[in-house]
Amino acid sequence: MKRHLPYVVVAGWGALNGLLLAVLGIYGESSLVFWLYGGVVALLEVAALAVLASSRTGPDQHVRYRVPDRGAGAVPVVALGCALVALAFVYGLWLLALAVPLFGVAIALALHGTTASEG
Amino acid sequence: MIQRRVFGTVFTLESAVAAFVFLVVLALVCHAVVRRRAGRQPTPSDRPQRPVLEKYYVGVLAAFAAFLVAWTAWQNHEEHRPPNRTPVRVDVMGFQWCWKFGYPQSPAKVSVTGTCRGKDLPTLVVPTGRPVELRLTSNDVIHSLWVPDLRYKMDAFPDHVNTFTLTLDHEGRWRGRCAEFCGERHYAMDFWIKAVSPEEYDRYLHGQPIGTGTGTAT
Amino acid sequence: MTVASPAAGTEDTGGRPVVPGGWLGWVTSTDHKRIGLLTIGTSLVIFLLMGVLALLMRSQLAQPDLHVVDPATFSQLFTIHGSGMIYMVLTPFAVGMGTYLVPLQIGAPGIAAPRLTLLGYWLYVLGAVLMLSGFATPQGAHAGGWFSYPPLADKVHSPGLGSDLWIAGVLLATTGVIIMGWTVLWTVLRRRARGMTMLRLPVFCWSMIASCLMVIGAFPALLAALALLAVGRADASVFTSNTWNIGYQHLFWFYGHPVVYVMFFPYLAAVAEVLAVFSGRRFFGYKGTALSLLVFAALSMSVWGHHMFATGQATNDYYSLTSIALLVPAGVEYFGMIGTILGGRIRLRTPMLFALAFIPQFLIGGLTGIMVGTPVIDYHVTDSYFVVAHLHYVLFAGSAFGLFAAVYYWTPKVTGAMLSERLGRLHFWLLVVGTNLTFLPMFALGYQGMPRRVATYASFDGFAWLNLLASIGAGFLAVGIGVFVVNVLWTLRKVALGRSGNAGDDPWQAHTLEWATSSPPPRFNFAADRSLPPITSFAPLLDLRERRASGAAVGAEQEGASGS
Repeated sequence: MKRHLPYVVVAGWGALNGLLLAVLGIYGESSLVFWLYGGVVALLEVAALAVLASSRTGPDQHVRYRVPDRGAGAVPVVALGCALVALAFVYGLWLLALAVPLFGVAIALALHGTTASEG
Repeated sequence: MIQRRVFGTVFTLESAVAAFVFLVVLALVCHAVVRRRAGRQPTPSDRPQRPVLEKYYVGVLAAFAAFLVAWTAWQNHEEHRPPNRTPVRVDVMGFQWCWKFGYPQSPAKVSVTGTCRGKDLPTLVVPTGRPVELRLTSNDVIHSLWVPDLRYKMDAFPDHVNTFTLTLDHEGRWRGRCAEFCGERHYAMDFWIKAVSPEEYDRYLHGQPIGTGTGTAT
Repeated sequence: MTVASPAAGTEDTGGRPVVPGGWLGWVTSTDHKRIGLLTIGTSLVIFLLMGVLALLMRSQLAQPDLHVVDPATFSQLFTIHGSGMIYMVLTPFAVGMGTYLVPLQIGAPGIAAPRLTLLGYWLYVLGAVLMLSGFATPQGAHAGGWFSYPPLADKVHSPGLGSDLWIAGVLLATTGVIIMGWTVLWTVLRRRARGMTMLRLPVFCWSMIASCLMVIGAFPALLAALALLAVGRADASVFTSNTWNIGYQHLFWFYGHPVVYVMFFPYLAAVAEVLAVFSGRRFFGYKGTALSLLVFAALSMSVWGHHMFATGQATNDYYSLTSIALLVPAGVEYFGMIGTILGGRIRLRTPMLFALAFIPQFLIGGLTGIMVGTPVIDYHVTDSYFVVAHLHYVLFAGSAFGLFAAVYYWTPKVTGAMLSERLGRLHFWLLVVGTNLTFLPMFALGYQGMPRRVATYASFDGFAWLNLLASIGAGFLAVGIGVFVVNVLWTLRKVALGRSGNAGDDPWQAHTLEWATSSPPPRFNFAADRSLPPITSFAPLLDLRERRASGAAVGAEQEGASGS
């Protein structure tokens, strides 16, 4: 129980939402609302399962960590690509022609690694 | 004016409770700041919690919340109880950016609208002492019919009819507004609601204009 | 991936070296502290811009029939002010605080999935830029209000490109915040140091758990709402049907209410930490507060319909039930805060001033929140200035005061230098006067019948002098924020010149682990040659001081005994 407290928190919180949804069921609402709220409760329970899976395979508290010590040059490029995709819906799909090469650049950057240690 | 009365009752009670809670909390904060200042060398408490007190406190809060939920829901249902007489029906249409009031039961098929520019505001004429059912809709975006003195508003949706009933117990003229942001001239989308005697209302339905005398707004 | 130790950085990086302190080092950093600071810094800059928009509105409304800007521009001002403050300032700042503080508070050297966190930041920035770039389009920025109900926000009634940019920008920024919310949540659940059990998490970490649960649960609903809006702008027939108009409102408010609590819990918890530290004792009623945060968050997922009481198409009884029930967990939090200061030894430093003012000021927002959660009251006051006053008491008199308490409290940790206490006090008093002078009259204005989002009002409406008071208050706010900006820039300048003097690791005698490392903390938060203090409770540094004090007392006693 103690060891799986993170799982219990997420799952319990999802269940509490489920309870509130059930009360709404008594009062009644449009079907869209039940799909929406029900879907969110399901999503939260999936998140709880992910936490449970992670808790089962690793320690609850850590002494040694694995963290990257290098910058991630690919990330801003990916974000820029995403912004272009969003803009494509405003100014036309031709912007995708710019976004796709950017994603290519990002992949190349991620594979090669251009930024040095921050340590 | 049941809306105004119910609002007044509930608002008074909740304001009184809120003011009381606010003053208690403010007094506690002031007390702490004055009495527990480092300059007075108080010893910090090492009591991490008071679970028993907290349980009673939560019990009181929950009981008050339960009362408030039940009581205000009851008040809400009182406010929306169907009228005991057949109401007069008025069709209200909101549009960008003014109102149109139609009287489907009138022999002359009276319908009023305006431009909501300058003094050209449409007037919604209703009889005193009789329930009036407003059937609200919109022909473009969402508007909201609000009569501040009545303490009530309801949204007007396109492709949907919202209904509410009001009864005005004395003659007078009040300002009505659009409360839901609906575009550039939202700020100017005002109208008048005018309560006249049932006889005058009857004449109005037959196409005679309302006397120019304005009632006293409360 | 390397193990976090100073020696680990020597592995082959396989690329050109980049100076860590350079701008490229910042914008590509996987250090959660840098990502957190970027987020906080960006949101503070946008905060200033949004303040300028608010001042323009207040100058237009200062007197009846003023036309500083035309009504169309006015609509853009309040739309972008509201959207900016909610999507681009208070929410990202809250998550940014979590990004910076959570790993430090749980004794971890980094955040889970730092590259994803960085991606979240970049999506947020680009989203903000997209939204604001609407001002550069021919028809100006989006003008549909921050909740942009269709059909007003569809292509027929809002034909401008600004509306499309608003959708794209908010979508990107919210996606970014969701990603950051996930990594912060995962960090606090799965990256705690040895000894840091769930029940030893600082209150701030609990607030981030509650907030991030709402982020992952409720924020996707906004993405759905925006997608629906985008579809409706492509195909105008969608919003001729009432189903989708009211459906949009459900989707939007399913996000739109929880987000208020995401903009509230982290600031509330910052206030709680400040109250405890400057009261010289541990936070009172820890377990009750942690539990109430979770209950509060769950309830807040089910209250969204109280924004729709006047639509005539919502189950008002249910939303009223859940909204009023919120007073129970909120009361528990006040129990903890008041209990903490009542048994404290209070030092009135700047962070504490802001935290103390938060208590009664937020309470006004909370109590009026119960009122607007009551349908029969809400029918009158919704969409009026009463609601404007209520939400600004929650978000400005409450959350922003918590934000400033946090900035004054954690700046010495982040920069190694203290902010000026004198300017801080000036900032505080200007803000207290300005806040109440601006927002208190708005309750009366709304009660008297002033609708929100009006570009102007007539002289015979009788709103003039209350509006004038509010505009004068806004002037106080502007000066107060100006003082804050001077204070921050002056301190940063001193740090850059190396003339700031060192604040020390723990200038406030604080309780949580971030104060057990140097200021600013090293790349991996806790230097290898300095072991973490034992984590014995949610206030490990306080435990350490108490043990030392009692150890010294025992030692002195023994000395005294042996001497006699």
